[in-house]
Amino acid sequence: MTAPTDRDLIVRARRGDGDAFSELVTRYQTNVFNVCYRILHERGEAEDLAQETFMRAYHRLEQFDLEREFGPWVRRVAANLCLNHLESQKVNAPLDEERDADESQRPEKQVEVRERSEQIRGALASLPAHYRVVVELRHYQELSYDEIASELKIPLSDVKSHLFRARKLLAEKLHAPD
Amino acid sequence: MHLTDEQLNEYLDNEIADRTLFDSHLASCGECAARLTALQSLFAELDSLPEVELTHSLASQITLHAASSPQLPRWLTLTATLQAALALIALVLAAPFVMNLLPAIETPSFTEILIQLQSQWLTLFNLITNYQLPNLPTLPPLQIPTLTLSLALAGASLLWLVGNGLLLRRQIK
Ligand SMILES: [Zn+2]
Repeated sequence: MTAPTDRDLIVRARRGDGDAFSELVTRYQTNVFNVCYRILHERGEAEDLAQETFMRAYHRLEQFDLEREFGPWVRRVAANLCLNHLESQKVNAPLDEERDADESQRPEKQVEVRERSEQIRGALASLPAHYRVVVELRHYQELSYDEIASELKIPLSDVKSHLFRARKLLAEKLHAPD
Repeated sequence: MHLTDEQLNEYLDNEIADRTLFDSHLASCGECAARLTALQSLFAELDSLPEVELTHSLASQITLHAASSPQLPRWLTLTATLQAALALIALVLAAPFVMNLLPAIETPSFTEILIQLQSQWLTLFNLITNYQLPNLPTLPPLQIPTLTLSLALAGASLLWLVGNGLLLRRQIK
């Protein structure tokens, strides 16, 4: 017996089959969680947003175009939710930056050899919310400039400027001599 | 002319239709080639970021949420049950009043009822057209039960409206 396709599962989930939706969640939860974790850089928050993503997906299942792929769609939903989440707590952003700066100044943190992936995550987390999401959509979800623009409902010129500035900042953070 | 940062970014993002011009410049210009390599290494670094594992599955929690959401919340189910119970109580309570009213009609034949209704209607019609308000208190024995009855009726209607309104709103949502 072959495993049901995503499409089969979506059709069944639409009819109210909880197990079918559960199977979809099992298939994509790691993917979706990683989208959230790359953008938010905080496990608990990322888990909450991943869960919210699937709830959102469940309620939008009726509108989902069966000709499209579920995985890319649900990952874009996650990126958008994370952006909204970050924007809703904009007031905290300067605090976050301060906290980050404090951390890098602490001597034990400087001495400690952090894993490269942690450095990359840290660098991503230091970017403004919009930059993070554009980097996520371009580098991890492989969307084109046009697709990013329509996904985030921003002009193409903003997609480019966000992306290019984000890369500049990342390069400065990651390639700076320690 | 060197390539701009923007052009280098677009080149690596495959957002440039005609790459030949860029290719020839990159082949001949060491400076631009080095800038491209630097940008490429950032791309590679971002690509290298491994996916992390979840500490627990989200499936069970989400299925619980998803399964429970189409169902009515407990308080709404309770309201509906209360409605049914009150309707039953109202029926039982109303029975004596109805029984009291029934003998007054003396169960005449259908035509008699019609004639009676007609005459009653005519008197009522006259009453209304003549607008003799002082005639109203001629129903003293029924006054108290009528009041209680109308209060009960109003209460039941209110509950019915609220309950069904909530049910309907939930469905529309
Ligand atoms: Zn050049």
